Amino acid sequence: MTELRVIGADVSRIDAQEKTTGRARYTTDATAPGMLHAKVLRSTRGHALIHAVDVSEARAVPGVHAVITGADLAEVPMPVYGYFIKDQPILATDRVRYEGDQIAAVAAETEEAAQEALRLIRVEYEDLPTAPDIDAALAEDAPELFPEAPMGIVPPYGKGASGALRPRRNVCYEFRYTTGDASAFDGCAHVFEDEFRFSRMQHVHLEPFVSLCHWRDGDEVEIITSCQNPFPLRKEIARIFGLSEARITVKVPYVGGGFGSKNNCKTEPIALILSKHTGRPVRLCLTFEECFQTNTQHAAILKIKTGVDVDGRFVARRARIALDAGAYSDATPLVTEKAGYRIPGPYRFAHIDSVCSGVLTNTAPAGPFRGFGGTQAAWAAESQTDMIARRLGIDPYDMRMTNLLTLGQPFVPGESGVDSDLREGLDIVADGVGYHLPRAPGRGVGLAVGFKDGGGVNKPAQARVKVSTNGDIHLACGTVEIGQGVRGALSSVVAEIMGAPLGRVTYLPLDTRLTPFDQGTNASSGISVMGQAVEKAARKVRDEVLAFAAHMLDASVEVLDLEDWTIRHGNEVHPLAPMVMKYYGGTGFEFTGDGFHKAANDHNAPLEAQCVFWEIGWAGAEVSVDEGTGLVKVHKLVVSGDAGRAIHKLVCRGQDEGAALMGLGQALFERMIYDGTRLVNGEALMYRVPLAEDLPEVFDAITQEQGHGPGPFGAKGMGEGAMLPVAPAIANAIHDAVGVRLTELPITPERVLAALAARDAGC
Amino acid sequence: MTKISTDGRIVLTCNVNGAPVEAELPTARVLADFLRDDLGLQGTKVSCGRGVCGACTVTLDGVPRAACQAFAFEAEGADVRTIEGLADADGTLHALQTAFQARSAFQCGFCTSGMLMLLSAKLAETPRPDRAQVVHWVSANICRCTGYALIVEAVEEAARTLAAQEAAE
Repeated sequence: MTELRVIGADVSRIDAQEKTTGRARYTTDATAPGMLHAKVLRSTRGHALIHAVDVSEARAVPGVHAVITGADLAEVPMPVYGYFIKDQPILATDRVRYEGDQIAAVAAETEEAAQEALRLIRVEYEDLPTAPDIDAALAEDAPELFPEAPMGIVPPYGKGASGALRPRRNVCYEFRYTTGDASAFDGCAHVFEDEFRFSRMQHVHLEPFVSLCHWRDGDEVEIITSCQNPFPLRKEIARIFGLSEARITVKVPYVGGGFGSKNNCKTEPIALILSKHTGRPVRLCLTFEECFQTNTQHAAILKIKTGVDVDGRFVARRARIALDAGAYSDATPLVTEKAGYRIPGPYRFAHIDSVCSGVLTNTAPAGPFRGFGGTQAAWAAESQTDMIARRLGIDPYDMRMTNLLTLGQPFVPGESGVDSDLREGLDIVADGVGYHLPRAPGRGVGLAVGFKDGGGVNKPAQARVKVSTNGDIHLACGTVEIGQGVRGALSSVVAEIMGAPLGRVTYLPLDTRLTPFDQGTNASSGISVMGQAVEKAARKVRDEVLAFAAHMLDASVEVLDLEDWTIRHGNEVHPLAPMVMKYYGGTGFEFTGDGFHKAANDHNAPLEAQCVFWEIGWAGAEVSVDEGTGLVKVHKLVVSGDAGRAIHKLVCRGQDEGAALMGLGQALFERMIYDGTRLVNGEALMYRVPLAEDLPEVFDAITQEQGHGPGPFGAKGMGEGAMLPVAPAIANAIHDAVGVRLTELPITPERVLAALAARDAGC
Repeated sequence: MTKISTDGRIVLTCNVNGAPVEAELPTARVLADFLRDDLGLQGTKVSCGRGVCGACTVTLDGVPRAACQAFAFEAEGADVRTIEGLADADGTLHALQTAFQARSAFQCGFCTSGMLMLLSAKLAETPRPDRAQVVHWVSANICRCTGYALIVEAVEEAARTLAAQEAAE
């Protein structure tokens, strides 16, 4: 390969100047003349019928322009939303299903006036029995959250996979995957069954859910929103309100973090209805506390049965997984699919029988969260890998080395081959954490490998690259800058291909009227999927420019090269701008290239298309346990991801470090605590997120560049992988240190003490 | 000096980013809203609204404050500094800004203004911090994206730069 100039260069991020001087603008900063502020009245009951909502006093508050309730939804063609299943009402109509469910909304001159109006709304509830968690919702006498049949679809699946809507009471979706024959268990030398529990976090994106919506005369709709999938949002808004997608504009400026939560409808439908009622632009900005009541990670119960042969080789796995979906389906069908599909981890089994159910409960709706079911699966699977190794007297490192998939080996029949050398990665973290060295007194070391299919399923992406007369490069694509550095990464790909300095490329503002279609900034698809579309667009433009120059210079394309908007022809250098104006006229021209990418549909692949790339996270942890208090201290945490090719090394490192620290929080303390249906720690003081003080003494994120990725220059997606292995690596290290196995997250001192007491009692 | 209001409004006189400001406001005006909405200084971000996350950190007479938890009247007579006033008037960046850029010590950027204001105040007070001090400072604020390590490195780099500048002067 020719030497790369831009890819991998040690330069500041392209958003560095804006973000370090306070000039970067987010949705929360957007204002408009005549703008009103909205506030939402939320349910104080976990499950109740609503008999009446009296808003008469609220309407009389000075400054209030509109108050809407479920009754106002009569004018909305389809007032519910969701991904595969449309079951979440914009406002409650006959009932509420969780504390925080939306009942009424107010638009007023100020947030204070809107807040005052909320206080004057009277709701008449009739409490219903509640199902606050998975066990309660699956109990025989559980109250049914949705008496009516679900409105939804099951997507097409390929070989071995299937899905079902509402197979049982309170199960919104069930995913199944089977390969090989169940008789495989019969030939196993050992079969182990274990159960794991996974607690639920909130994303804690610092920019709240916020939008500024304007419903103009003639049903023209403009939405500025903190959203990571503007085009699917546009489609959903069009469906809800019966509008043409061509009359809806969604604009997304910088987004202040999302971690999955900013997919699909949040504040937009309510703000739009209020705007329609008032004729004014309406801003709806949720509080930090309301964000906790809006979207969360999935708590889970995972039961795994694994059969191995006499040499400790994996043979068969049966998994039964229940995810806590909360009160509405949201992205749960997709998350069940991923948790169910990823439960084998990076190992080959002759037989897999996986069933994953999304269970509706009277708690906040769970949705997409970094790791997307993979974190739950990795917690159980990589804990069990260690448990099995120890039961068989095999070193857990050797157990993994024996069983890991090899480079190029399909994950399951019909799938794409694994595009990282998994053993190479395991050695990097094992060496990094000192796995093979004698343990310091009181210390334990654990390893884990997280594994997920990356790049989304069957996901298309489109991009457009334009070059103006004087060589300024415009990149238009729908990937949202949410912190991951995607504007810089994709601009770097264009600059590299166009032979231009990075500063020549401008990443155009995202506006669904002007930007080519994209399905969303999720599934680590920015560089792996959109990157391929951008690469194709840039190559088309480059080819077009070279063909043009060849014509103008009466030379063959092969002898020409493009260097910062000049044509190099042997020792001659020809600036392009005069050539362009000579041919196209003095007012200039724009060369334009469109790029498109999508994995081919493939019915032999379980998810209908082969996985785009495999996102791997390796982790090694060294811990000690205070046997008096049960406190776990993580002394070393070494994680590694394979970027394939690092477009920007520090950005890659930052992605992995951020993911790893989120994983550390998940492992040790971070969780939403419910008392029945009431969230008791849903605010900043009570909900503990990792701080700098939580950093282990040694904290390393090692970016591998194995070069096998499908993206530009061999790149793979980043950012989720390093979260997956952290909790199991820490649990495995605790076992190594003190001989107890923690199977429930988070690993609190109370749980550790209980496990130590059980150990000492000989249980 | 704080003036007692009898009608729920107050005249505030202070200095914001080096420029004198006089404004009539409701007594209950929150400092963050005053800065963002009245003065248009939107670089200051509000997130948790409870003085926990630190995204809204500004300095009053060099002392970091959570602007979401301060009333505007608390700035009476004070030198208020926001992210817009961290660089020199001629645009020369503060060493922390340069270091944050060089180390990619930010991702989404929503915590960055508050981090920079907090850390600029701490560095002014303690120009030669050890790593434990830096970690302690950074722990006052929440960054959900970076995992903090690059922020800590950036602060150390800025401290070295400032020390070198001082030595050169």
